[in-house]
Amino acid sequence: MTSVVSAGKKWGATLSSRPENVGLGVMLGLGLGAVALAAQWVKGPSSLLVAIAMLTMVVGLIYTAFAGGLEARKSLAPYGLLKPGMIWLCLFFLAPLWSMVVMSLSSKAGRFDFFPDFTWNFENYRIALTKFRPQFIRSFSYAGIATILTVVIGYPLAYFIAFRGGKYRNVLLGLVVVPFFTSYLIRTLAWNNILADEGPVVSLINTLHLTGVFETLDIMQNGKLMNTPAAVIGGLTYNFLPFMVLPIYVSLEKIDVRLVDAAMDLYSSASQAFRKVVLPLSLPGLFAGSLLVFIPAAGDFVNAQFLGNPQTTMIGNSIQDQFLRQLNYPVASAMSFVLMIIITIIVLIYTKFMGTEDLA
Amino acid sequence: MNTRRTTTPKSVQASRLNRRDFLIRGGLMGAGALSLPALLAACGSDSGSTADTVGGGGDSSLFFENWPGYMDEETIGLFQAASGVSLKYTEAFNDNNEYFAKIQPEMSKGKTIAPDILAPTFWMAARLVQLGWVQKLPKADIPNFVNLRDDLSGQSWDKNDEYHLPYQSGIAGIAYNSKITGRELKSVADLFDPAFKGKIGMLTEMRDTIGLILMGEGKKISDITTFDAASAGFDKLEKAKSEGQIRSFTGNDYVDDLSAGNFAACVAWSGDVLQLTKDNPDVKFIIPEEGGTSWYDTMVWMKGSQNGDAVAKWMNFLYDPVNAARLTSFVQYLSPVKGVQEELVKMGGDNAKLAEDPLLFPDAATFARLQSWGALAEEEEAKFDEAFASITGA
Amino acid sequence: MSTAFSKRQKAGQRLVNVAAGAALLYIFIPIFVIVLFSFNEPKGKYNIKWQNFTLDNWANPFIEKELTSALWVSLRIALIATIVSTILGTLIAMSLSRYKFKASGAVNLFLVLPLTAPEIVLGSSLATLFLNRSVGFGYVTIIIAHVMFQISFVAVTVRARIRGFDWTLEQAAQDLGATPSRAFWKVTFPLILPGIMAAALLSFALSVDDFIITFFNAGSLVTFPLQIFGASRVKISPQINVLASMLLFASVALMAGAMILGRRRERRHSGTLSK
Repeated sequence: MTSVVSAGKKWGATLSSRPENVGLGVMLGLGLGAVALAAQWVKGPSSLLVAIAMLTMVVGLIYTAFAGGLEARKSLAPYGLLKPGMIWLCLFFLAPLWSMVVMSLSSKAGRFDFFPDFTWNFENYRIALTKFRPQFIRSFSYAGIATILTVVIGYPLAYFIAFRGGKYRNVLLGLVVVPFFTSYLIRTLAWNNILADEGPVVSLINTLHLTGVFETLDIMQNGKLMNTPAAVIGGLTYNFLPFMVLPIYVSLEKIDVRLVDAAMDLYSSASQAFRKVVLPLSLPGLFAGSLLVFIPAAGDFVNAQFLGNPQTTMIGNSIQDQFLRQLNYPVASAMSFVLMIIITIIVLIYTKFMGTEDLA
Repeated sequence: MNTRRTTTPKSVQASRLNRRDFLIRGGLMGAGALSLPALLAACGSDSGSTADTVGGGGDSSLFFENWPGYMDEETIGLFQAASGVSLKYTEAFNDNNEYFAKIQPEMSKGKTIAPDILAPTFWMAARLVQLGWVQKLPKADIPNFVNLRDDLSGQSWDKNDEYHLPYQSGIAGIAYNSKITGRELKSVADLFDPAFKGKIGMLTEMRDTIGLILMGEGKKISDITTFDAASAGFDKLEKAKSEGQIRSFTGNDYVDDLSAGNFAACVAWSGDVLQLTKDNPDVKFIIPEEGGTSWYDTMVWMKGSQNGDAVAKWMNFLYDPVNAARLTSFVQYLSPVKGVQEELVKMGGDNAKLAEDPLLFPDAATFARLQSWGALAEEEEAKFDEAFASITGA
Repeated sequence: MSTAFSKRQKAGQRLVNVAAGAALLYIFIPIFVIVLFSFNEPKGKYNIKWQNFTLDNWANPFIEKELTSALWVSLRIALIATIVSTILGTLIAMSLSRYKFKASGAVNLFLVLPLTAPEIVLGSSLATLFLNRSVGFGYVTIIIAHVMFQISFVAVTVRARIRGFDWTLEQAAQDLGATPSRAFWKVTFPLILPGIMAAALLSFALSVDDFIITFFNAGSLVTFPLQIFGASRVKISPQINVLASMLLFASVALMAGAMILGRRRERRHSGTLSK
């Protein structure tokens, strides 16, 4: 009996001597446990075991906090603060991703079998990659073009607010953000009004006899601006513009104005000063902004649905269709996973290209 | 925004967290974090979502979930007054497939959904019956059942009319803007006229779009039971789409596009266009010479609902020709109830004119030109849906 | 500071100004259109072509029952989700910026992941989880989904705001005799509150406006964006524009109010400190 007690005491001493490891370990353990329970890695009585293990960990943590004294509590505090949010994310971000992977490798017995069995079915991935390749390619090219457009439109605006805004900076930033407070769908639908066949933009283009020019550029098709790829890309650009302006602004604002002045003195022209000094310093913002635009744009389906035609559908539309109409959860999950992987690869390549920047 | 530039101490400071505070903070968070799975498990046993009561209050309440714009306020009020049943009426049924996806999680587990009555399109109703999610109607309490139009009775998927009662029926044909087309249209082939490139609309309703195309190829759609028999129609549609003939696939939203001239012509539903043709004389609706498709939306009583008495009262009310006539004058689709024409004449005025409209009350010759789909087996229907989805670009 | 700008430099400056102005115009044209068309009297079921000016829509903004009840649902969900996510996110932000610990780099990365995953992946995977676990879709699932992406957003935003915060102030308060919790609530909290409020407001807006994630996890419950999407198949009534304009004006007023209050507080504080 005494050996157990002394072993327990020794263990307790070890715990309290390295409180930070305890904190880290408990956080990891609780997170894993949460995912395990939610994603059903274990079923039935085993899940009870997992729950008990998690409870033990919490008890251990509290014990360490008490026994370890002030230093222990100091190093455990961050873990304590982190835990609720982390567990939420583990439950509702990691576990769903796991479920998605499991579902993507499952097969359905019939069309209305809503509980597919896990069968290591890689056929779903084959379908995702072959049948929907046009949509994948289209989504990434639309998102890419939209990202470039947001830089072209948004950079001057961010520059203006950062360097010329003065005391109206906050107001101007507010103006950039304000459209956010109307519904995403309504903003997209508004472009329906603007780009309509008998609307102001098309009429203007027709009066200026520029229809031919626009048609060769493939911006207009058959004399219409709505239901074209250009309309979809335009919608994506518009909806994600603030996501580019704000990060660029943040990194421009950090630049000391005296640096810019010094550059102006050093270099012969303002554009050189810009290229050599301002532009490189704003790269973190450009990087963050491009990610914040490209990634959601690639997965979007609203713009294609409201502003496009049957030949401009993006992978988001297809995933939505497979999930909600064809009820083909396995294929839909495979498509989602492929989308995530490709985006991650693109982001990694992009990061290497730009150098490691932190996203703050 | 914080513009103060203060130095941040890099080292962790000695905060004198006292025992009580840590305990409280840690304990609360720990308890909160652990109780979440329990919360989740509790949710799992819930039968559903909203605060709406599931049909289980005897015969004093009824929940009917219908398509938008498919019912007038007056009928609802009159029904409640006449029967004493409180009717909850919502219009969230926008699309057959999307609604099916919404109710599937609960119905497939044997639970029930909030609405007592839905009005899906006939093929979706067939699917619901096949899946066993629909109850037999209390026909004994619906004496007006005899008023059901003969051509709608005895469907292949419900030979004894036990599971459904049609709500409205309609025709899918071609609507066109004569100002844009510059000529009269007569046949399905006109939809594929290269002169109208990029100005043709098609419906997202697969059976109406593919049905018309197949009829244009001279096929009889009621005979079609396999995907291979219909593949010619899909190929033709795919070709038209890739050549840029089709501007978009729409639901009911073709109406304004047609009126504005964005569409030269489109596949359309009779009820939508009726009012439009009166407002805009350029817009015309025709049943093509090859024929048109006939469809109907039908009421089903969902399994798990306990409000049989209220359901019977409601259906009986709707099948009274007087009420049916009032509904028809609002939605302007073909009523499934016999005797509506006479009632409309009795109502007089504009309604009497409706009674003469050949689109609302087609003569025998027109009826003979309409075709409707038979039931499709599960695997075949899946092939149809997949093929259509890849054409509409999804 | 060089004051002599060459003509080319001035032209370059003007170009930037023009470009910035054009960008602002671009941002606001659809907003004008939305507000403008709330005064339209559409002939058909769709509010696309300008017909007549009318005040009827504003006189009866809540005439579309389904739309109004959907708006209430969205507001209710957003309120609860924002409260939960602000608390959880702020705790994370505080732990990251106040303490230095081993896992902070990993936590940083983990936090950013939900922000970088496409919404369609987040939405469909969460729906798959709920389907597998037989959780009924509705209020709870939507709130869970919203909190999930709001946490990361709040944590990242609050952390950025309190980055320059001087934690020794708390220490000073404790040296003066305050208990740690009193020091926190009376000294630290009021100073980081603006950052928290800003994050809360923005995540509230994100929740009201969320479409894709909600689409997959709502079941039969209809939120404001879902109602617009669903009804857009049949009609787009001007009431949508009216309600959207109302939301817009309310949020502009809130933001302006916050700005004015903030400026007043700064003036008050700077006044006393400079003495």
